[in-house]
Amino acid sequence: MSRIVIDKEKCKACYLCINECPKQLIKISNDTNKLGVHTVEFNDPDNKCIGCAMCAMRCPDLAITEVYRG
Amino acid sequence: MATQVFKLPESLKGDVKYSFCPGCDHGVAVRLVAEVLDELGVRENTILAASIGCSVTIYDFINVDSLEAPHGRAMAEATGIKRARPDKIVFTYQGDGDFASIGLAESMHAALRGENITAICINNTTYGMTGGQLGPTTLVGQVTTTSPTGRNVDYYGYPIKIAEHIALCDGTAFSARVSLDTVANIKKAKQAIKKAFEVQIHGLGFGFVEILSTCPTNWKMSPEKAHERVRNEMMPVFKPGIYKDVTVQN
Ligand SMILES: Cc1ncc(C[n+]2csc(CCOP(=O)(O)OP(=O)(O)O)c2C)c(N)n1
Ligand code: SF4
Ligand SMILES: [Mg+2]
Repeated sequence: MSRIVIDKEKCKACYLCINECPKQLIKISNDTNKLGVHTVEFNDPDNKCIGCAMCAMRCPDLAITEVYRG
Repeated sequence: MATQVFKLPESLKGDVKYSFCPGCDHGVAVRLVAEVLDELGVRENTILAASIGCSVTIYDFINVDSLEAPHGRAMAEATGIKRARPDKIVFTYQGDGDFASIGLAESMHAALRGENITAICINNTTYGMTGGQLGPTTLVGQVTTTSPTGRNVDYYGYPIKIAEHIALCDGTAFSARVSLDTVANIKKAKQAIKKAFEVQIHGLGFGFVEILSTCPTNWKMSPEKAHERVRNEMMPVFKPGIYKDVTVQN
């Protein structure tokens, strides 16, 4: 099962990853972090993630810390 | 079993939290440099000559020894480090203002002398750290805090095409311009950065990469729109490409 790991405390809410995901699995969260911003969250109930790591390569803040493919 | 296809580079300090503004491409550039140091296995043997500008904060994040230089003098400092310790991999990470305005003499002469060092220059068409003044790469017509009616060539002259100028220096082994506007271009950027370090490792001369980057804060744009500006306004003037590569010419 492919998946990503987000460190929400590193997310500055630039939201660049949202448009990068080819499966549209990243959304703006209702929750805020210590910076006071609405971070992104990864929602993949149907296991659609292909582990392409496009989101992680786009993220300027290394907030997507791990990507697994398989 | 899922395999890990992305992890934090070992050349960055653990639990890195960048101080760059949201969406700033400096963060991507620093990560690419760290990934290249990992892949080349040279982290433990590398020294950074740090610059002045938003670029300077790299020394808080990258896990190599570093020395701070006065504004524009990183190339001179790097020259001294490399000549004293030729066994070390020495690099600079500078903004367009640092490299090509106040430091233009240091930068150009380091390339002309063929110093065996690597220089990474972040071109965001402005002085980011000080609040968005006109810099050497500010585009014709671009509004900045010091060109409120747009860069007017009669008054301010033309922007400098750094990668092309560095390529003209006989001491240059590699000179390229890359962009971070898309993930495909981010991958190309990493290859160019790697090449700029490899020419140093092989003792071939000056290695240089100019990286077209965003400054959403001072451009007063969303990070997404800032990438559109890189594509639509910067790339037609600052054309990405490899302007010199002695490993291909030989
Ligand atoms: C001798 C000197 N002059 C001026 C400054 C003020 N100063 C700090 S950063 C900077 C500009 C940096 O611009 P750039 O190199 O393009 O880096 P960026 O912040 O855009 O990444 C200036 C002029 C300084 N620190 N030292
Ligand atoms: S001022 Fe501009 S270059 Fe500096 S960190 Fe912010 S967005 Fe990046
Ligand atoms: Mg700049």
